[in-house]
Amino acid sequence: MSASPGSVAEIQALIRSAAAAGTPLIPVGRRSWPGAGGWAPKEGRALDTTPLKRIRHYEPADLTITADAGIGLDELDAGLAENGQWLPIDSPGAGSGTLGAAAATGGFGPLRQRYGATRDNVLGLEVVTGDGRLLRLGGRVVKNVAGYDLVRVFVGSRGSLGVITRVSMRLFPRPEEDRTLIYRVRAERALAMATALRRGHLPVAAVVLGSGGMEGGGGRAATLAARILGGGRGAREITGRVVAALGADPDEALRDEASRRFHDRHRQWEDDARLMVRLRALPDRLDEVVAIAQPVAAAVAGEIAADARNGVVRVKTPAAPAGRDEVVAALAGARGRVEALGGSLALDDAAGELGRRVGWVGRGGGAGGIVRRIKSLFDPHGVLAPRCPE
Amino acid sequence: MIQQSLVRELRAICGSYGVLDDPDALLVYESDALTAYRHRPAAVVLPRTTRETRESVAAIARHGLPIVPRGAGTGLSGGAVALNDAIVVGTARMNRILGIDAPNRRAVLQPGVINAELSVAARRHGLYYAPDPSSQTTCTIGGNVAENSGGPHCLKYGVTSRYVTGLEVVLPDGEVIRIGGQGRDAPGYDLVGLFVGSEGCFGIATEIEVSLLPVPESVRTLLAIFDRIEDAGRAVSEIMSAGMLPAAMEIIDGATIRAVEDSVFAAGYPTDAEAALVIEFDGLEAGLKGDAERARRRCLATGAREVRTAQDEAERAALWKGRKKAFGAMGRIAPDLLVQDATVPRTALPSVLRGISRISARHDLVVANVFHAGDGNLHPNILFDRRDAEELERVERASKEIMRLCVDAGGTITGEHGVGLDKKHHMTLIYGPDELNAMWGIRRVFDPGETMNPGKVLPDETQPVAAAVPA
Amino acid sequence: MAGPGRVRQSRPSATASQPAATDPASSLARALREQEEGLLNCVHCGFCLPACPTYRRLGDEADSPRGRLHLMRAVVEGRLEPGAEAYQRHIGRCLGCRACEPVCPSGVAYGHLLELARRVGNEAKPPSLVTRIILATFGSRWAWRPLLAGARLLRALGLPALAARRPRSGANARGPRLALAMLAASARVRSLPESPPDEVPSPTTPTTNAGRTAADSPSPTDGPDNRPTVAILTGCVQAGLFGRVNAATRRVLEANGYRVVPVGAQGCCGALHAHAGELDSARELARRNVAAFEAAGADYLAMNASGCGAAMREYGSLFSQDDPDAPRAAALAERVRDLSELLVVRGPRPGGSIHLAATSDAPCHLLHAQGVADAPERVLRAIPGLRLLPLQGASECCGGAGIYGLTQPELGGMIGGDKVRNILESGAAAVVTGNPGCMMQIGAGLRLAGSSVVVLHPAELLDESYRRGGLYDGQGR
Repeated sequence: MSASPGSVAEIQALIRSAAAAGTPLIPVGRRSWPGAGGWAPKEGRALDTTPLKRIRHYEPADLTITADAGIGLDELDAGLAENGQWLPIDSPGAGSGTLGAAAATGGFGPLRQRYGATRDNVLGLEVVTGDGRLLRLGGRVVKNVAGYDLVRVFVGSRGSLGVITRVSMRLFPRPEEDRTLIYRVRAERALAMATALRRGHLPVAAVVLGSGGMEGGGGRAATLAARILGGGRGAREITGRVVAALGADPDEALRDEASRRFHDRHRQWEDDARLMVRLRALPDRLDEVVAIAQPVAAAVAGEIAADARNGVVRVKTPAAPAGRDEVVAALAGARGRVEALGGSLALDDAAGELGRRVGWVGRGGGAGGIVRRIKSLFDPHGVLAPRCPE
Repeated sequence: MIQQSLVRELRAICGSYGVLDDPDALLVYESDALTAYRHRPAAVVLPRTTRETRESVAAIARHGLPIVPRGAGTGLSGGAVALNDAIVVGTARMNRILGIDAPNRRAVLQPGVINAELSVAARRHGLYYAPDPSSQTTCTIGGNVAENSGGPHCLKYGVTSRYVTGLEVVLPDGEVIRIGGQGRDAPGYDLVGLFVGSEGCFGIATEIEVSLLPVPESVRTLLAIFDRIEDAGRAVSEIMSAGMLPAAMEIIDGATIRAVEDSVFAAGYPTDAEAALVIEFDGLEAGLKGDAERARRRCLATGAREVRTAQDEAERAALWKGRKKAFGAMGRIAPDLLVQDATVPRTALPSVLRGISRISARHDLVVANVFHAGDGNLHPNILFDRRDAEELERVERASKEIMRLCVDAGGTITGEHGVGLDKKHHMTLIYGPDELNAMWGIRRVFDPGETMNPGKVLPDETQPVAAAVPA
Repeated sequence: MAGPGRVRQSRPSATASQPAATDPASSLARALREQEEGLLNCVHCGFCLPACPTYRRLGDEADSPRGRLHLMRAVVEGRLEPGAEAYQRHIGRCLGCRACEPVCPSGVAYGHLLELARRVGNEAKPPSLVTRIILATFGSRWAWRPLLAGARLLRALGLPALAARRPRSGANARGPRLALAMLAASARVRSLPESPPDEVPSPTTPTTNAGRTAADSPSPTDGPDNRPTVAILTGCVQAGLFGRVNAATRRVLEANGYRVVPVGAQGCCGALHAHAGELDSARELARRNVAAFEAAGADYLAMNASGCGAAMREYGSLFSQDDPDAPRAAALAERVRDLSELLVVRGPRPGGSIHLAATSDAPCHLLHAQGVADAPERVLRAIPGLRLLPLQGASECCGGAGIYGLTQPELGGMIGGDKVRNILESGAAAVVTGNPGCMMQIGAGLRLAGSSVVVLHPAELLDESYRRGGLYDGQGR
């Protein structure tokens, strides 16, 4: 059962009555975004934000846009492209997802090093909190330090503090050229190449690894894809340097539309997942994190992909694994090892029983009291997603 | 007057050089770089470590006294001014770089490290720290965290918030928490993002992890001279909408040009010009030439009288000189200066600039504009002499009118200097009761007793009577 | 520009009639009030903080230039008594190194304001007996000549060197021990700590002038009548303890085509007095020197002590505008040059090889007060075989600062200690600096640290190079 309020006032009313009735609400967009483990309530009524989908303010020369939360990123992108601009959100679930969900999940994809994470580019939010108040936070200018930065708390809070109804974003010029150099090599070689690119301080926009060879053994090739964005001369120059730094010509060189499609596919890699495990550590520990992820992949018969620049390694399996003891042990072991590196391991909602047994996100940061007080400040009746990692 | 028992306690924690309580010497701490606000603190404590900070804060909290954190005192919003006999906890002696992790492009520092000195240290690894407030040779990273500082090159690279990835914080009751760290990617609320820009109201950051960037391989700088400041504003909009992303775009207006050229820092800008626009591109050499040429043509098309291009590092420094020295040079033309910091959408620049000059004419005041044009971040400097009470009143009125003009144009009251004392009464121009209530609430989440930098950021009259805070 | 003019007019007159000068507070106020415009130039931006050695050590803004200016302004505004302990302490702790001046975007004349502030402070509360004795001594040739002669004798007996070598006998001994170590450090270096060419640490900056031959340089015999003339300030401490530096100065100038003319009846430049706020004494000394050097009539006044150079370059502003001697003092000041500046104009000529790993420390009163940055190093590059090693913190004060080591032993020790540590870390066997105070401070610090690194004046080193290169052959030495 879901509600589809047609205005902000209706959302406020809906939240107030849910608070009175004590029934949880789960704000949703197009449901393309993978849930982060354990945030969503087990049961509750979906609050559909997609009916609100107007562009409220767009002045291309300002390089900012303000739109309702329910608009799809794909719809937005079409309008921005006409003006040679874009919103470089490439976290899993982007593309077909909504603007509101992009802000609420606050993730990042391989382009973060170049453009910042979503949270860095959200300029302002309109949000209805768990007690039905409408807050207009931040603004639509690119620099703004007026008051405490509440925008940052709501971005990435996954609907646990409020329902985001409108978002102002910073935009970027669309790169003139989009190139991707693809190398199909053994996993160890792919990791060594990623290290060489990182050490060389080359202005590569993204470096991703994947396509079925990262699990090690089996003789399948992994793919290293280096994405280069920029003006014509600059892009050619970087391409030349990447090839020189890696000491080999790419197996494939994609340009423009083909390059974009490649990265769309990489982003959508998670879409058919029944279980996602995300491991993160500092980028120079990537080899170790991949090694930690391999036994997990083996235990769940999953595949591995990595975002080399951001130190993210993902394990996905399209088949739902049961909460078998050996899977639980593999996950718990991997978490211990990645946390020993200073990193983290998180499961998404689909992990279900596994998530409850292993724990969704691992150890907290020691600011539990503050997290709880923020939660009850904005959602005093616990109407919205009741849990949040501490 | 501060209790001697507390002074003794603090001396035992921080050593004899670490506690200052001579009221005469404390005059020095009565203001930050915005001298319009002056309140002498009851004492100053200068801890050297997290432990000394934690113990000092706890001791002061036990005595129920308010605390004001202070870095180098270069803020321009009165944020480091000690109201209500507060005790200043300064970070000047916590100035060590604890480590630079070059492979992961990050550094861990104590809060008193000077912004520019971090970049100097990182340079050995081919890295630098991107946010570059104009006071970067003296302001501290801790202060940057508190204010979420910007700077000329934030146009391309973003502000402090994007670069802070972890914090160790001493909370107002002396508890120490760690948020973020090893990147800022752990699941959960973005407490680091919330803390950055909290203007010393949530606690004192005692350890800061930041991310660094590779030093750009090449830099190209242009200086365009205009006879009308609106034309310079238009050039900025056109360059941005043409798909270029300069590292910085800064405008210096005629009044400022003349102040600088009158000073020992004369930069060779023509004194009859009404605006100078500094444009900088950085990145790979291969791409820069084309960008610079396109920008040059745009400037000429929008009415630039001439465009100069720096050919080497010395010339580049010369083109920047007028911009970098502008604030100090104002000291030569008036004893006091009110620096404003409003941000407007870039496309509103020409009309807002016209409005500011109308307002200053109406109040018979001199306003000199120096600003981060690419970001739409204006710095109208109202020149005055605070010994002239009548003039001071006109300054106040003009200041409020300029603020309203910027807000009406879709902007905000502060882009990088913070609210502090100076702009807290303007907060109601942009926020309603619910937003202000939420801010009061979040402040109490960190500081239930309201002892950390009280009287700043939020207008006192908006304080909710019943505590909106949960246990 | 109309605007600023209007703002200025709105200012209450800064020189309105003041109460009689007998009241120390009002006298202070008067002195500083004359400089109120100068104080107001400070916009409180804080750019000076990191440049200040005392702020860097203590972290206390009252010990920063901005803080001290704030205290001065508080006195002018009648909010602070100049006799107050805070004023005395923080104005007293200033090294007077003036590292804050080049970084000040408003161009505040800090050094000048400090002298006034010290005078005002002294009127409210006389300086310590030690300070007064030192200043009185240097105020009169008849006092400092015998004193320094005695000091030379003591130095010759080797007692100071012995005392400086003795292990620390407790904190109380620091003052006298430092004084003795400084005296020991003023002695001539008997043999240069040279190393065989291949063992000299690898150069970071290649010696550049070394490849040139004497034929490339201006010849010392371009015709005696055309040679520019130079008068050397022989100074007080310089004459008393560093006679060899004065002699070397004369020789290297002559070797570079200058004609050195004698100056009769010159004396102490008055820098120590001015820095301590004894402006009347400083003016008297300045008047005597103006007369003496005018009579000498040289094209340039050569300074081999940068403290003196800075003082003489500022003779013009030492006198009030209505003083009849002010224009003469200003005209004389125009002709003042540091020795290194005069040498760089002529090359300087390269000399014979000295295989020495050296590092160069910039005297504050050369770098900050006179704005002479690279001339000393360019002089040293004329010496073949010399390897110039970089010195961390070379532009920071050594803590000598006139009589600072004696008046502020603890802080002076901290600042001096850092300088010594940086010198030791540079790997140099010799440190070169062009100011006697710095030579003694650094030398004393090195001795007390048990180091064998020697301290040299650039003139001494160039002189030795010229001697080895045979540039003096046939010229009487």
